[in-house]
Amino acid sequence: MNIFNNAALLIGIPLLFAFSIPLFGFISKQLTKWVTIFVVGFNATFSLYILLAHKFPSVVVMGNWVPPFGENLYVGPVAVFLVTVVSLIGLLIAIYNLWAIKGGDVTRFSVLFLMYIAGASGIILTGDIFNLFIFMEITEITSYALAAYGPERRALGGAFKFLVVSSIGSTLYLLGVMLIYTQLGTLNIAEIAARIGQTTPGLLTFAGVLLVSGLAVEAELFPFNGWVPDTYTGAVNGVSAALSGIGAIAGVYALFRIVMTVLGKDGMYVLTYGKLDLMAVIAILATATVVIGELSALTQKNVKKMLAYSSMAQMGLVAAGFSIGSTLGVYGGIFQLINHSIAKSMLFLIVGVLVAAGVGERIENFKGLWKRSPFLSLAFTIGAFSMLGFPLFAGFWSKFAIVGASIQRGGWYDFIIGLVLFASVAEAFYYLRIVTYIFSPTEMEKPKIKVNLSPAIPIFILAVAIVAIGVYPNLIGNFSMQSAGEFTHKMKDYVLNVIPTITAH
Amino acid sequence: MQVFLQNWIYLIASVSLIGVGLYIVLTKENIFRIIVGLNIIESGTNLFMIAIAWHPKAVMPIYTATDHLAINGKVIAADPLPQSLVLTAIVIGLGTTALALAIGVKIFEKYGTLDVRKIKEAEK
Repeated sequence: MNIFNNAALLIGIPLLFAFSIPLFGFISKQLTKWVTIFVVGFNATFSLYILLAHKFPSVVVMGNWVPPFGENLYVGPVAVFLVTVVSLIGLLIAIYNLWAIKGGDVTRFSVLFLMYIAGASGIILTGDIFNLFIFMEITEITSYALAAYGPERRALGGAFKFLVVSSIGSTLYLLGVMLIYTQLGTLNIAEIAARIGQTTPGLLTFAGVLLVSGLAVEAELFPFNGWVPDTYTGAVNGVSAALSGIGAIAGVYALFRIVMTVLGKDGMYVLTYGKLDLMAVIAILATATVVIGELSALTQKNVKKMLAYSSMAQMGLVAAGFSIGSTLGVYGGIFQLINHSIAKSMLFLIVGVLVAAGVGERIENFKGLWKRSPFLSLAFTIGAFSMLGFPLFAGFWSKFAIVGASIQRGGWYDFIIGLVLFASVAEAFYYLRIVTYIFSPTEMEKPKIKVNLSPAIPIFILAVAIVAIGVYPNLIGNFSMQSAGEFTHKMKDYVLNVIPTITAH
Repeated sequence: MQVFLQNWIYLIASVSLIGVGLYIVLTKENIFRIIVGLNIIESGTNLFMIAIAWHPKAVMPIYTATDHLAINGKVIAADPLPQSLVLTAIVIGLGTTALALAIGVKIFEKYGTLDVRKIKEAEK
């Protein structure tokens, strides 16, 4: 067990600055946005340092109470990698917000945004299932408030729907946690993971179903994803980008940390304890999510709503990849998760710039965009190609890995091949429709769209990242491969790193 | 067998509170009633957490206070951990309710109604 207590700063610094931002707000509202960039930038730099200097796997021990007695954070390969991605995307969105968030209460927006980053990092780093609940609530409560931000009244309806669904979800999660607590008397993930075999199978199954239904809300799995279209459409674009780029990562991570590490059995393919194999349940839910998401996206005329449904479908693909349960499947799932976050947050940022320029959100409004702004058109095309998994773009490699994993597993998991192909065809249909509109020649003479520097930087960086990952997939692939092991070999790569003396029962 | 099942009456009460709350959230159309339903679900969860930690004959979990309180030669202390978790859960519930009410007030200002169906119609 390596102790690396400084990693707690990844949560501590954003929280500290979140609550002191009102003081900066007294000086100037513009300053609060710069403070946000500075703090998220610190998070990005520090997590990149941990990732590249290989300071993991290590444990943050609070107050010298070694796990399982105290609350701990676990800085493993998955945690470091995902925190890095979350804070980098958060940094880019913060740079975009410098331009986008003008009216309204800028100070409180910055407070909420920083708390959102802190909560998402906390979900990923924590090693205690009750702390996971607390960080989940921090993330969710801030995201309701962020989703309600903005001049449009449809934002309020979306935010309220999200609030109702996810507070019921977190209550179910809490019930599941308490049922496990009655069985084992501990809340530490590593200790529960080692001793999960001692529980009563019936009660454990019930607890598992409660946990999955609670966490599936944030991971956008059917039937708990009714909030997705309204919330994504209603929120301002910077927030939609944050929800799909940051919240989705944290949600999927939490779901599979609980299902694979806490409830899972070690083996060639991860299965779960209890009377019901929750990995198979998630595979079925993921299939339903993909089918429903893609079919609903096909009929949308509003680009934001289409992106929202597409985001739902992509989360289904991620969950399908994870649910195969082999190292290759989890690798594909993590890879797909990262690709989706990069591409989808970029698409939302582009839509934000277009809406601000008066282009509008309808598909028809995108006609002839190429002549008005080649930069945005190219970036949108790159994002769309990555989404549908066109070769030499980032999304291709992750879909390829998921198909490969399902072939490797065989059996009834073969249907995931069909699922990925179906998703690609549907995505090709609705994304290429927009791309055709963008490049269609039109006679109308409209002014060119000027893109300010602050939204242009994040869009440019994300587009370059997609192409770079597409050409050289090992850029993300190596880290995903490292992370995948932590999910599939829980004793060796998780539990023993946290509590070296424990034995599995 | 599980000690916590001896509090069955509280467990049944908590599960039925959660059921009542879910029923309200799923069937009512008024935003204020939905928020009340959410609160009932939360109370049910809190009662559940207290019920699994408590026992009719349990004593307070302080080491020196348990000296002369033995039942059948065995001291049963109430589990303090879920009780501290309940405090956290109550605070989180307070925050959620406050935010939900604030959003509800805003919705009433912008739409002039709290009826979910009318809001949906106004959107179209």
